[in-house]
Amino acid sequence: MRILRELSRRKLRTSLTITGITIGIWALVVFSSLANQINGLVGMGSEYFADKIVVTDGMAFGSSPMRLDDVEIIAGLDGVGAVQPKVEIPWDPDPAIGFGAPDFLVGTIPGADAGFETFTLELATGRQLIAEDTGNVVVLGSTIARKYGVVAGGTVDIRGESFEVLGTLQPTLSSPDTNGFIPLSTAQALYLGDLPPLVAESLQADELANQIVVFPEVGADPTTVAAAIEAAVENSATMTGAEFSETVGATTVIFNAIIIGVAAISLIVGGLSVINTMAMSVAERTREIGIRRAIGGSRRRIVRELVAEAGVIGLLGGLIGLGLGAAVVVLVNEAGRSSGTVLFDLTAQTAAFAVGFSTILGMVAGIIPAWTAARLDPVSALRYE
Amino acid sequence: MNLIEATDLRKTYRLSRRTSIDALQGVDVSIAAGEMVAIMGPSGSGKSTLMHLLGLLHAPDTDDGPAPTLRIDGVDATTLSDGERTSIRARSMGFVFQSFNLVPTLTAEENVALAAEYAGTSGSAARVAARASLASVGLAERAGHRPMELSGGEQQRVAIARALVNDPKLILGDEPTGNLDSSRAAEVLGLLRRFNRERGQTVLIVTHDQEVGAACDRIIRMRDGRIIADERVADVQVAA
Repeated sequence: MRILRELSRRKLRTSLTITGITIGIWALVVFSSLANQINGLVGMGSEYFADKIVVTDGMAFGSSPMRLDDVEIIAGLDGVGAVQPKVEIPWDPDPAIGFGAPDFLVGTIPGADAGFETFTLELATGRQLIAEDTGNVVVLGSTIARKYGVVAGGTVDIRGESFEVLGTLQPTLSSPDTNGFIPLSTAQALYLGDLPPLVAESLQADELANQIVVFPEVGADPTTVAAAIEAAVENSATMTGAEFSETVGATTVIFNAIIIGVAAISLIVGGLSVINTMAMSVAERTREIGIRRAIGGSRRRIVRELVAEAGVIGLLGGLIGLGLGAAVVVLVNEAGRSSGTVLFDLTAQTAAFAVGFSTILGMVAGIIPAWTAARLDPVSALRYE
Repeated sequence: MNLIEATDLRKTYRLSRRTSIDALQGVDVSIAAGEMVAIMGPSGSGKSTLMHLLGLLHAPDTDDGPAPTLRIDGVDATTLSDGERTSIRARSMGFVFQSFNLVPTLTAEENVALAAEYAGTSGSAARVAARASLASVGLAERAGHRPMELSGGEQQRVAIARALVNDPKLILGDEPTGNLDSSRAAEVLGLLRRFNRERGQTVLIVTHDQEVGAACDRIIRMRDGRIIADERVADVQVAA
């Protein structure tokens, strides 16, 4: 209470300093939440790719057609446990340009992974696809399901056709949320329609894929298997879990560098303004500090009181910054939710770090002026006007 | 028994590289426990400097001459660290200043409690002690007021309550009546005299005011950093 009263003596200066810290911590909270979300997606991606090799056409990742014949070739290679062909195509062939992951249709043969797949999707309603499903049936990711407001048993229009919704999935906060899972044969037919007529006329729908997921056998080296696949299948490109982590790891490093940069800027700006405020405060209170020293206040105690005051400035700045940052996170996430774009993930850890960081920042910045104050000669401090 | 015994106290203040002031040029003084003593002299005579040394706010110079001695209540004060001197100030001394020197943001009670806390009394006990001390100077009613809301005489009584809250052996006043009109001055002086008589507290007052000097047991007169006279008040009055 005494600390707040001291701070309220210098309302303008204290509130300006708190504002400075608030801005720094606000930026720290927002950027950290963004990084949390991105690191989460990357982590999920790494987890997804960890135990598999994704084979695509060598010309363009995931968009050029491959033949199902390749599946047979790959299945015959040493170290290959299971092979699962996939067709991934845009939900809407002419998607509006927007922020965030576009919606995709994923055609696959359930069970073709032969139990190798460890990245499982939990159901919210209805049932998963099974190998026997054909025609216009779909299992929706959570974001799409919410977007169309359907659950299992409902119908949804895809590319002008009505699809029966077999099930909906739990949110994963990653790409499956914006995917519709359909039988491979259904996807093949749609995919053929998407291809340029010149390419399409030489192809049959039922021999198409644009992605082949290969599960190496337990104990097989993914890199060796990937090399064997590239050698056996003409024009193929492979990506192993390790390669994926390496590629996206670079992105993560950049984002983490941004966070460290924001933290460093808020540290410097906020810290300097706390030092300034406390130094002014000490200068103004020279006489009072002289009184305290004269009547028996120890140096340690003077330092402690002033450092506590600076810590409260940091704490208030941190709490307000966290509050405003959380407001931005919640509002933007709410605004983006309808379009399936969740930008921020404000974790308890981030919140605690931001407030702890600003409090410690304030205290550390308060040490220098506090020590100056404690070193004052009480007699000359008492003469100070 | 003497509460304070000091010899060869010297203090030079260096104002710049070239100029310095020899504020005290070798002072021997002893003050008996329970005495009420005035230190008088013109400006620059060294009376405040002497009080600062006896009040352990400054340490005497140790170079250029015989080693100074300073014993307070039997403790050799020349070799104490800053922390030890601070602790003695907190527990065994009470200070009253010319310009009251209360902490402006704290209430009267909090100002007094602060001194009790510095002496090691915990928060709530310090509050109780502060209220008792304020009552003893007749300010129980004003405990919740800030210094700004009190008259000069009341502020100085709060300062006296603060000086007394730890029941110190020694009370040091630096021109305690200097900013007060004569009736408020008499009130403050009467309080100091009363505590000196009732509780046997030793009181040391630096003053310009002849009336304050006359109310004490003994007057030490200083000029140019030295003691030029040291007389019992009764003797002075007889001489007059």
